[in-house]
Amino acid sequence: MDREIKEKIKYLLYPRSVAVIGASRNPRKIGFQVVYNLIKDGYKGRIYPINPNADEILGLKCYPNILDAPDDIDLAMIVVPASKVLNVLNEVVRKKVRSVAIISSGFSELGKKDLEDAIVNICREHKIPLLGPNIVGIINTNNNMNLSFCPHLPFKGKITFITQSGALAIGLIGWTWASRIGISKLISIGNMAMIGFEELIEFLEEDRDTEAVLLYIEGVKNGRLFAEVSKKVSRKKPLIAIKAGKSLRGAKAAASHTGSLAGNVMLYETAFKYAGIVSADGLEDGFDKALALSLQPPLYGDNLVVVTNGGGAGVLSSDYAEKFGVPLKDLPKDLVNAVKELIPPFGSPNNPIDLTGNAYRDDYIRVLDTVFRHPWVDGVVSIYVHAAITDPVEIADGIAQVWRNYRDKPITVCMIGGREVQVANIWLRDNGIPVYPTPRRAISAMAALRQYGLFLERERGNGGMVRNKEISS
Amino acid sequence: MNIERVREILDRAYEENRKTLYEYEAKEIADIVGIPTPKHIFIEDLESLDTDKISFNEPYVIKIVSPQVIHKSDVGGVVVNISREQLEEAIKKMIDTVKSKVANASIKGVLIEEMADKGVETIVGYIRDPQFGPVVMFGLGGIFVEVYKDVSFRLAPLSMEDALSMVKEVKAYKILSGYRGIPPSDINKISDVITRIGDLGYKFPEIREIDINPLVAYPDRVLALDVRIILGGDYG
Repeated sequence: MDREIKEKIKYLLYPRSVAVIGASRNPRKIGFQVVYNLIKDGYKGRIYPINPNADEILGLKCYPNILDAPDDIDLAMIVVPASKVLNVLNEVVRKKVRSVAIISSGFSELGKKDLEDAIVNICREHKIPLLGPNIVGIINTNNNMNLSFCPHLPFKGKITFITQSGALAIGLIGWTWASRIGISKLISIGNMAMIGFEELIEFLEEDRDTEAVLLYIEGVKNGRLFAEVSKKVSRKKPLIAIKAGKSLRGAKAAASHTGSLAGNVMLYETAFKYAGIVSADGLEDGFDKALALSLQPPLYGDNLVVVTNGGGAGVLSSDYAEKFGVPLKDLPKDLVNAVKELIPPFGSPNNPIDLTGNAYRDDYIRVLDTVFRHPWVDGVVSIYVHAAITDPVEIADGIAQVWRNYRDKPITVCMIGGREVQVANIWLRDNGIPVYPTPRRAISAMAALRQYGLFLERERGNGGMVRNKEISS
Repeated sequence: MNIERVREILDRAYEENRKTLYEYEAKEIADIVGIPTPKHIFIEDLESLDTDKISFNEPYVIKIVSPQVIHKSDVGGVVVNISREQLEEAIKKMIDTVKSKVANASIKGVLIEEMADKGVETIVGYIRDPQFGPVVMFGLGGIFVEVYKDVSFRLAPLSMEDALSMVKEVKAYKILSGYRGIPPSDINKISDVITRIGDLGYKFPEIREIDINPLVAYPDRVLALDVRIILGGDYG
């Protein structure tokens, strides 16, 4: 893709001025929702509603044509019907707008490929990046830009979510608040007529507001390019992919064994592996892994320790650790002896360390500190099963306090107790610690940190320790 | 690698409008790129066959070469364990059998090979995918591939290290590392074949698919008993 177009992608996400072409006074129209959401959520740029039949929309002066707007426009968001998009686009070009996004549908997804191609050609000719058509919009929590018909901004954080399904974007916003999953940007890419996963991932490589990129993929434009770009970006920040849509294409067309076995899903998984992309099994798993990878350092080395106050949760962790490729090992003798001093005689000083149900905040602190401090230990999963005598918020605070001193080693936490541990969960997440309701999910998140750590170790041709070192390409 | 010669073989197939290379052509390409094959000789003019002049030892395997026959063994186009003495007779019989099963089969000739020892049967494959480009595959032969689809893939070209990790990734890897009296197989040589097949496909976009099935693995070597190369990538 043209370099000038690539360089302008930033205007899609960080525009200083937005024109909404097809802005409306009718609250039931998307042209209203988009302007309303920009204002309501506090977008930190200038807004220019464009509509020939209105003087004012939501207190903002409205212009009959984008050419009348008294300002440079970084981003034109088009919401007029598909049949009017070409006319509007010609005006956008004359205005020398820096980037274009189209919410309107009625293009290739309805068989109107010619119309879509015509739009792409105009944008390409004038070196304007085009997002869409057929998108929900663009959301950036860093400049409070809700340029979409999603009801409100997601919970703010460091995950950028690129989705091929617009409805998923809308649906997940409430979830990000309920689970405190921090989102940096939410980008709906619709028909990917020009800008697709490949270009956005490459842009995000240098984006300081993004620590992890989560992808919901049905199909990419160019698999090989996607793999190459992702591999380059993975060296700097983790990518997580949810692949949907299973195809039998491979099985039909093939004349060889290899061809019949190389189905769509298999090849995507192969490309993910090549690129260091952490593959996720559905939405929940995707966000679980993205959360851990956006908050925690990778797991370098595979000496994982589980610290729990409940035996059953420990046994389950042990099973899942093996299943997800980070099997628990016996601890070094000196560490076992040190832990033994700190726990009751009926606890277990070896991996998983069982503090027993009598463990209070100070017990967690002492044991976690001893474990984190030991050079053999690479990462920790800390489990709390709610008990009648202990306060989960106290425990959570204790865990957060210890980890603050060992930020180069990753931690994930499991808090079992549902409503009883809600406040503790919020406390942990606000302190940068990913927390999950089951051992399975806490271990799976840690395994994702290991998968990414392993990728980085291999990329640097160095099986040894790379902890504490700046990640660079 | 003698790229010119590989190019010649592919071009000839293209001119003759053949999508699948003859096995002797595929084996020649295998030899060129450094993938070991059994000793073999292609006999085009069967009248002039002088069995005494075959330089390698019996027993032999004979295979039909015909543009109409793609799945040779399904139509009696592969016969194994033949002595030098039986060779002429066996060839005649095989041709009759094939002709009785495939009415319009034109016989291009016969491939005579040294019969290989038993070993662990693996499959090495290649496909140029429209989305992902060159991809290699590895698996163990028989039920492991057919029933369990126990295979691993990588994008090509790939490093020796990547190829080794592919071999170790399949669930049936235990069998290659030595299992119940089966000696360990030479996984370095298997990995070497995988990288070579990936390089070959990468260099020649007109190759759409390659199957080495089986690639037989021994403790100290490997042997590609059957090589299929299918064209149609960028030739359309």
